[in-house]
Amino acid sequence: MKKAKTKKGFRWNTKCKLCLVPSLLGTLVFFVVPFIRVIYYSLIDNQFKRNFVGLDNYIDTLTNDYFLLALKNSLLLIVICVPIVIILSLAVSLVLSYGIRWVRKTRAAFVLPLVIPTASIVLIWQSVFAQDTSVLPVYLLFIWKNTGICIVLLTAAFTAIDPALFEAARLDGASTFTLHKKITIPIIMPTVFFVSLLTIVNSFKIFKEIYLYYGTNYPPDHSYTLQYYMNNNFLKLDYQSLATSAVLTSILVFGIVMAGMALQRRYRQ
Amino acid sequence: MKKLIGIIFALLSAVFVLPVFATVFLSFYSEGTLTLQEYKDLLFDCFVFYPMFWNSVLYAAAITLAQLVVIIPCAFGFSQAKFKGKGVLFVFYIVLMMMPLQVTILPNYIGLRDMGLINTPWGIILPMIFSPFGVVVMHQYMKNTDTSVIEATRLETSSIFRVIITSVIPQLKVCIFAVVLFVFADCWNMVEQPMLFLTDDSLKTLSVFISNAQSYTGAVLFPAAVIFLMPVLFLYLFFSDSLEKGLTLGELS
Repeated sequence: MKKAKTKKGFRWNTKCKLCLVPSLLGTLVFFVVPFIRVIYYSLIDNQFKRNFVGLDNYIDTLTNDYFLLALKNSLLLIVICVPIVIILSLAVSLVLSYGIRWVRKTRAAFVLPLVIPTASIVLIWQSVFAQDTSVLPVYLLFIWKNTGICIVLLTAAFTAIDPALFEAARLDGASTFTLHKKITIPIIMPTVFFVSLLTIVNSFKIFKEIYLYYGTNYPPDHSYTLQYYMNNNFLKLDYQSLATSAVLTSILVFGIVMAGMALQRRYRQ
Repeated sequence: MKKLIGIIFALLSAVFVLPVFATVFLSFYSEGTLTLQEYKDLLFDCFVFYPMFWNSVLYAAAITLAQLVVIIPCAFGFSQAKFKGKGVLFVFYIVLMMMPLQVTILPNYIGLRDMGLINTPWGIILPMIFSPFGVVVMHQYMKNTDTSVIEATRLETSSIFRVIITSVIPQLKVCIFAVVLFVFADCWNMVEQPMLFLTDDSLKTLSVFISNAQSYTGAVLFPAAVIFLMPVLFLYLFFSDSLEKGLTLGELS
């Protein structure tokens, strides 16, 4: 009897594993295997001779003025916009979760930009900021677009807090300040970590917005981000530079994600 | 104090929706008056508009449906199967989800090129089906679902598909809506893939049309932008409630 049961369990486990196969196969075919070739491309001189050049491409890329400009702009966007997005979305979701009833109805307005296609909305940006040559329109577009998802996730975290916890604490005579310090903050902290991570990572994805906003492959210097560097190499079919910067960017993002997850884990302990 | 917060929120939310309203308003506005002329120009004189619109619908719908078929079993498998390295594999999915398009698009392109799928609809559809976002979101959501229902169904049937259909999907409903909204909007907004993977204009999407619309006759830009944002807007109005309940992404690993 026991044997039959474990056999059934074994079969079930196999079936569950088989459920993963389509997704894994697709990821393998369209991402993992080609990515290994991308690494290979970053180590050879060109498509025809295919001589190994070691890290030459990496040295070229890391000393390329445009790559450095792009890297600087990408990091600047993170340093300036991510804190704004996080603080704004924290403030908004705090009020949305505990505020007056009718205020909660405004939630839809903040989340709307998330789904509105960028291609539609840049037209307004172009007309409003026609005279503006600074980087401000790009930053505003980023904040406008990315605050929504943070609000969704943070509001979900706020509303998931059991009201009974507050009641119990209040009966014990805790003030509103201690209440939030002891209950709210520890519970929502992992989500704050996550939305920060998500926003940082999204700042690497802002290419589409900048590209559509300027409508050209050569935006002003201050908006030339990493993705532009890669996109322009894509159009030139310069596989070596492209592969090298793809590998470098993936290492950077990998590092950020791992650091974020480690921080989250550490906080919980 | 309450009043002040109310006013601030009214203003702030107005700022957030203003770009959308302004786009809709300007689509009816031309040379000082409100007019439908620009819509007429677009709908009656701009023949490239229609095939591109349908391409957008086709790609986004095909990808969204196919994704559901792939990610629901996959997320279920992740939550049920026991094997070595599962944690690492899931972290890989999270990292892949976080990768910017400019990192993944080159491997995608190379894979498609080797299979001869560049400049075909498959080139747009296939790689997007395996985007890891839905798997991560659904797996996170499944942690909070009731496994006893699954156990109970397993006593009646040994078919994993019946278990998924009768006891997993009903529990996942809200999450599925959220993922559908997200994935559809994401595909609908694609710009880089159609630009880089497609060369025939007849295969391209509405997003590409809008980014080059200046090259077409008449002021069709704003009406095209409005029509372009309508489908996702409706989808959002229907499913926005699911977003909050369906996306439980706070804690990774």
